[in-house]
Amino acid sequence: MNVPAQLRARLAAEYHPVRPLRSPWARALLVVPLAIVALIAAPVAFDVRPAANLGWLGVWGLSIAQSMIGLLVVGAALRESIPGRDWSRGALALWLAIPILIVVGVTLTSWEASPVLLRGQWWFVAGVCFAGSAATALPAVAFASILAARAYPTRPAVAGALLGLGAGLMADAGWRIFCHFSEPAHVLSVHLAAVIMSTIVGSLVAVRTCGLRGEEYPLDEPVAAGENHRGRSQ
Amino acid sequence: MADDQRPFDSQAADGRLLAQDRLRELMREYQAGRFEAFDEIYASIAPALRRYLLSQARDGAKAEDLVQDTFLQMHRARHTYDPSLPLMPWAMAIARHVWLMDRRTLSRRPWAPDDVTTMDLPVKGEAASYADRDDVRRALGKVAAPRRAAVIQHHVLGFSFKEIAERAGIAETAAKLRSSRGMGQLRALLGATEGTERTDRKRKP
Repeated sequence: MNVPAQLRARLAAEYHPVRPLRSPWARALLVVPLAIVALIAAPVAFDVRPAANLGWLGVWGLSIAQSMIGLLVVGAALRESIPGRDWSRGALALWLAIPILIVVGVTLTSWEASPVLLRGQWWFVAGVCFAGSAATALPAVAFASILAARAYPTRPAVAGALLGLGAGLMADAGWRIFCHFSEPAHVLSVHLAAVIMSTIVGSLVAVRTCGLRGEEYPLDEPVAAGENHRGRSQ
Repeated sequence: MADDQRPFDSQAADGRLLAQDRLRELMREYQAGRFEAFDEIYASIAPALRRYLLSQARDGAKAEDLVQDTFLQMHRARHTYDPSLPLMPWAMAIARHVWLMDRRTLSRRPWAPDDVTTMDLPVKGEAASYADRDDVRRALGKVAAPRRAAVIQHHVLGFSFKEIAERAGIAETAAKLRSSRGMGQLRALLGATEGTERTDRKRKP
């Protein structure tokens, strides 16, 4: 069976050697600098949470663990972005549910060790925590979206949701250190809402950057005809 | 145990593994810069892709278009293939994506139908001098689908090139180019129709 002449000519016009992408987990390591910045930005810029009851492990240990789980989720998103390596529904459900359960676990552990109630101006604190956490996640969302788009996500919304969730977890790992209030009602509504917001933003960004790829490259239009095909570099 | 004494299933499995290894090697060569490897990859996996796409599209011509689009997308995504893994799951995932994108594209453009036989085309009065509505419909049906869509959207439905470009996910210049080439093709086809009719009239006693 021979390659149709039109297809062959089209491929020959665009052809050049490429280097295969590294493994998704190795590529996820590129997000580590952003994860570190997200972890220390709020505590350094403002003040470390004065929770002596929690100790170093309760403050930094739990946050580092949460950040590493966020990084794992970003790795899962990058694996999802490779054709044929997408996660099954069950695995996806676990990737989405386990990090959320871990956030709940970290919140309850913090509350047990150092219960701090949020009494007045809850809406102001909620606004600061939500906006701060969501905004801190944005650079990681943007960078991870570029990494995902560099591959070929066949389900951009899913890949984007995973990388948004990962970035949200990394950002919240820093904000939980900054935020004085360990009250579960505050953390599980506002902080978790910021993580969910990051998940939604990640999904939308990925759909925007990776979606409709099939429409961009119709076979019957020449590449070198003065057109701007918005092609991705490889 | 000698090869010819082994159970048939075992030999078949070995054959499949060898074929997988060969495909893997070919794809690695294609990534590395040997363009000719594509011919063998195409010959090996095109039938399986066609079967799959035919089972989805249930239209031979459509399946053939989708197969070509799948290979184009495989070419563009070749850097995402990991040579340590089998090729077919990767290729089939791209084929499935191409099929779903095609369906999505069609569902988003209900106002650019493939079937132009029932369209009410606003052919101007002077057009009757060289072709009637049926001729225009027939000719339009022969214009390549993306160009036809651009012609219909711009000249019949009145969309701007910017709107057409946004809907199709292409540059505005590409939309203009499609429409212009579609009109050129349409004129050529109508010219041919007119010529055929004149010849027919001359032949009639």
